[in-house]
Amino acid sequence: MAAAHAEAHHGPPIANQSSRVSASVLGMLLFIASEIMLFGSFFTAYFFVRVVNGIDWPPHPFELPVFVAGVNTAILVTSSFTMHWALQSIKRGNRAGLQAGLLLTFLMGLVFLLTQAREYSRVGFAPHDGAFGTIFYCLTGLHGAHVFVGLSILLFMTIRAFRGHFSPEHHHGVEIGGIYWHFVDVMWIVVYSTVYLI
Amino acid sequence: MRRGSIVQLIVIGVLAGAVASAVALIPNWLPSSASREAGRIDFVFWFVTGICIFVFSIVAAVSVYSVWKFRVKPDDDSDGPPIHGHTGLEIAWTAVPALLVTAIAIVSAIVLAKDDAAGANPLRVNVYAQQFFWSFSYPGYGDKKSDVLRLPVNRSVVLEGHSKDVIHSFWVPEFRQKQDLVPGLTPTLHITPNKVGTYPLICTELCGLGHALMRSRVVVMEPAAFDKWASRKGA
Amino acid sequence: MTTLTHEHEAHPGRQGPAPPPRGWRRLLYPGLLRAAWMAPLFFGIGCGIVVLCRWWGGWQPIWFGEIIVLVGALIAGPIGFLAGIGAFDYWVRYAIGSPTKPEDHSGHGAYSWRDYFRVNTDHKVIGIQYLTTTIFFFLAGGLLAMLVRAELAKPGMQFFDNQTYNGLFSVHASLMIFLFVIPAFAGLANFVVPLMLGAPDMAFPRLNALSYWLLPIAGIMMLSSFLVPGGAFAAGWTGYAPLSIHQPLGTIFFNMGVQWAGASSIMTALNFLVTIITMRAPGMTFWRMPLLVWANFTTSLLVVIATPFIAGSQFFVMFDRVMHTHFFDVAGGGYPLGYQHIFWFYSHPAVYIMMLPGFGIASEVISAMSRKPIFGYRLMALSLMAILVLGFSVWAHHMFVSGMAPWLRVPMMITTLMIAVPTGIKVFSWLATIWEGKLNFATPMLWAVGFVSMFVIGGLSGIYLGAVPIDIHVSDTYFVVAHIHYVLFGGSLFTIFAGIYYWFPKMTGRQYNEKLGKLHFWLTFVGFNLTFFPMHLIGTQGMPRRVSDYAPQFANWNLFISIASFALGASTIVFLYNMVTSMRRGAPAEANPWRSLTLEWQVSSPPPIFNFDEIPQVVGNPYEYGVPGARHAVLNGDRAATETEVRSR
Ligand code: HEM
Ligand SMILES: [Cu+2]
Ligand SMILES: [Cu+2]
Repeated sequence: MAAAHAEAHHGPPIANQSSRVSASVLGMLLFIASEIMLFGSFFTAYFFVRVVNGIDWPPHPFELPVFVAGVNTAILVTSSFTMHWALQSIKRGNRAGLQAGLLLTFLMGLVFLLTQAREYSRVGFAPHDGAFGTIFYCLTGLHGAHVFVGLSILLFMTIRAFRGHFSPEHHHGVEIGGIYWHFVDVMWIVVYSTVYLI
Repeated sequence: MRRGSIVQLIVIGVLAGAVASAVALIPNWLPSSASREAGRIDFVFWFVTGICIFVFSIVAAVSVYSVWKFRVKPDDDSDGPPIHGHTGLEIAWTAVPALLVTAIAIVSAIVLAKDDAAGANPLRVNVYAQQFFWSFSYPGYGDKKSDVLRLPVNRSVVLEGHSKDVIHSFWVPEFRQKQDLVPGLTPTLHITPNKVGTYPLICTELCGLGHALMRSRVVVMEPAAFDKWASRKGA
Repeated sequence: MTTLTHEHEAHPGRQGPAPPPRGWRRLLYPGLLRAAWMAPLFFGIGCGIVVLCRWWGGWQPIWFGEIIVLVGALIAGPIGFLAGIGAFDYWVRYAIGSPTKPEDHSGHGAYSWRDYFRVNTDHKVIGIQYLTTTIFFFLAGGLLAMLVRAELAKPGMQFFDNQTYNGLFSVHASLMIFLFVIPAFAGLANFVVPLMLGAPDMAFPRLNALSYWLLPIAGIMMLSSFLVPGGAFAAGWTGYAPLSIHQPLGTIFFNMGVQWAGASSIMTALNFLVTIITMRAPGMTFWRMPLLVWANFTTSLLVVIATPFIAGSQFFVMFDRVMHTHFFDVAGGGYPLGYQHIFWFYSHPAVYIMMLPGFGIASEVISAMSRKPIFGYRLMALSLMAILVLGFSVWAHHMFVSGMAPWLRVPMMITTLMIAVPTGIKVFSWLATIWEGKLNFATPMLWAVGFVSMFVIGGLSGIYLGAVPIDIHVSDTYFVVAHIHYVLFGGSLFTIFAGIYYWFPKMTGRQYNEKLGKLHFWLTFVGFNLTFFPMHLIGTQGMPRRVSDYAPQFANWNLFISIASFALGASTIVFLYNMVTSMRRGAPAEANPWRSLTLEWQVSSPPPIFNFDEIPQVVGNPYEYGVPGARHAVLNGDRAATETEVRSR
């Protein structure tokens, strides 16, 4: 199709593919590298407050809802598996599996985000309550923003899946979106263990 | 390369070195030196300057010579000799600069270590910076307060910096020592004044509206005069 | 060497965008008109969201000006502008799953000047959009510098109050760094890199367009901070906390402007990396890439890895300000020096982001105009990589007097001084390339050789600053100002000029005026040295930096510097005049006026809309000047030659 197209419009010559990795996957990986560094800058701030300044974690009257967040972690991790399932399904041509997988992933992500919001309103301290509150809200908030972006991407993928896009040959959209979602999950595990556990 | 061109190269190099040395020696690059640390820092300064003049002369010789000799005639369309590299040369200009900077690093580290060590029985002074003025207190003299930093000559001094608002920086060009004063930290600075006189004290970290005017004075006095001043009550 | 002149310039009416609809529908057509109503609309929505949230959360006052400015004017409004101009049209259609328009390349290429004012996906158009925009901000920043120098001509206060003065040099530096040097290199590379690689365009043309359109947003944001109450941001381009947290409103224009500019450079860098990795022409191995491509490859890695740190640092300052968090506030448990660590972890690599592309340009120009291969090509590429790696391990050399842990100083001094080694390798290799060459001192070569000589001085003053004891004395003085200008003005700016003159015929299809080009160089070269060299001296003698007033002993030198700087500023007029008149009336340029070997010169000037009719076949190294019969690439029509040559390898 592209070639015929080029004939008709005198379009561009087809670029040479000079690497094994596809442009969009590479692009997503580099973007994730950049995102990791953004988290890195927040973790640097965490390091200065918690290690260099050595404040109590959490400081006296406050407590972290470790258990609820743990359940939330489980939900998010599970959603990575459903995401994987969705991708495998479309690779095998199973559209229903794709749709169900994406929908489940989206719903679990949503539950995660809503639980997080609920936690914010009950946790008993605010971002301006000392450096501890600052770091807690900014790290979990930065991650929450990424969940939000991931959810938007999932939403678009789901809409497209229900409107008949994607096929065993063309499922780049699912693959790339999936990589991002896995990144969001892995990042949460890091945030959860540094902020809640240790 | 012909003999003649080597001579020309060397002549250009020597000339460039002479010009650079003149630039280094004729103006007064450094204000007068009034502390023991300043003497050592000046030594590093001139050490680095020597190395820089050496490097500069080589670079200047090669570039001036090339620009002078290898300029093409307007109708000459030919190409230069296809030289792709020269392993020996490449190793040389990796190794020699590496050696030079190592020398600079060693000299600097030694001087830094010496400057960081306080002498015996140092005088302690608290330096307070706030937008936009300086004040000082002398814990050894009943916390005597002053707006001007008075120090005895030839005695090791440990300044402890405090900032009440934003970051400021304590600098006395004649001492060559500088230290940022950061809220929440108490960095120290070691100075051994060795010349009686009055020197400017300047804030060098942008601290807002009045930064440009945040200046004071340092007065280095004879020990007896200093003791007399310090044991007097009041500022 | 066959040079193909392409006869397929514009076919008016057959390609290019469809004419916009008439009547009210025009308001829905992507472009500046639609942006003109969507930006205010989004501004309103942003304000609405703020007010709703505050009402819901019970925060008083509901109308809180600072947050409304932040969310409405600095975030939502710009997004509305981007949506209006059509940067998101394709993606929105994709996201909601409607059939995307088959790509008809209507957004590609420029057929009239109007095509430069819309979202265009042609890397050559984007490159020119970048360059004109950045030159605009260069002029703005330059005018601010003139005002700075006017104030400093005499001790005491002349024209401005302190806060305004601090704003002047802060905006000057921020514009020059974030809106001139960094994006101007991105613009040059945008035009040149895909051509050099033998690719029809960048890997993600729509992303490329978006990254351009973020720039005017960032720049206008920084400039407009002069108009808000309290004046422009005035904590320097370094914006150290805690000072920057307690400054007037203008500071958040800096915080957000940096985010927009940073997002733009991350997107471009990502695009370069993907293009360079996945779209090289057949036969273009990494060791056959021109050094400009290498330079942009390493720069882009720096950008992708480091830029998020400045984003973080500015977010923290902004949060401390609007949400009263405690990142840098001691009373609340924060750590003020944390700002500097995070900031310089970006901003030291940033100085290489501002220099490595210049190294690339210098290599192209010097090799082609000396008619000799680059001396030590591989070592040149490797030293770029060495600078990349070392660049991440030296950030604290900006903090030798900051009060950070004293043990950090010696390790950081060692890594800093080590960087002089790969840098030295580059300088010596350029000199060796010139040696015995056939030097053609056309304007680009003047700038390139001028760059090498000025950069040597900047590099040597860098050694002074790297040696801790000396740095303790000269840090935050005019010595530093002299140093940054020798590397940024004598380094980056000189190479940008070299690049602009070198590729001017390729970009515009016309030749610039050589006499004026040379005049521009000599005026700048002399003015530059007279302006900035004496700054070393007053710095070591005791004049601090970022001051509107100074001790009387520095009066003579400052007057001298100010006068020289006005002459330097005036030299820019020659440049502008040359560019404008040559663009309109210059002699038509040949395809390859410099007889270069790299691919961009093997197509017509300006290049055809899609760069190549067929992807070229690369058969050799890019700098084989003087090697009999050597060629870098074979273009279409030369099939037979390609095959024999490929086989013979
Ligand atoms: C006409 C040419 C220029 C003049 C006369 C000029 C003048 C100045 C002056 C006087 C300062 C010091 C302000 C102060 O510390 O009080 C300064 C700072 C600075 N300039 Fe320029 N400048 C020029 C061009 C450039 C260019 C082309 C760049 C970038 C490539 C640049 C980047 C900077 C930077 C990064 C600073 C440091 C600002 C700071 O310390 O926060 N300047 N300039
Ligand atoms: Cu100050
Ligand atoms: Cu640096």
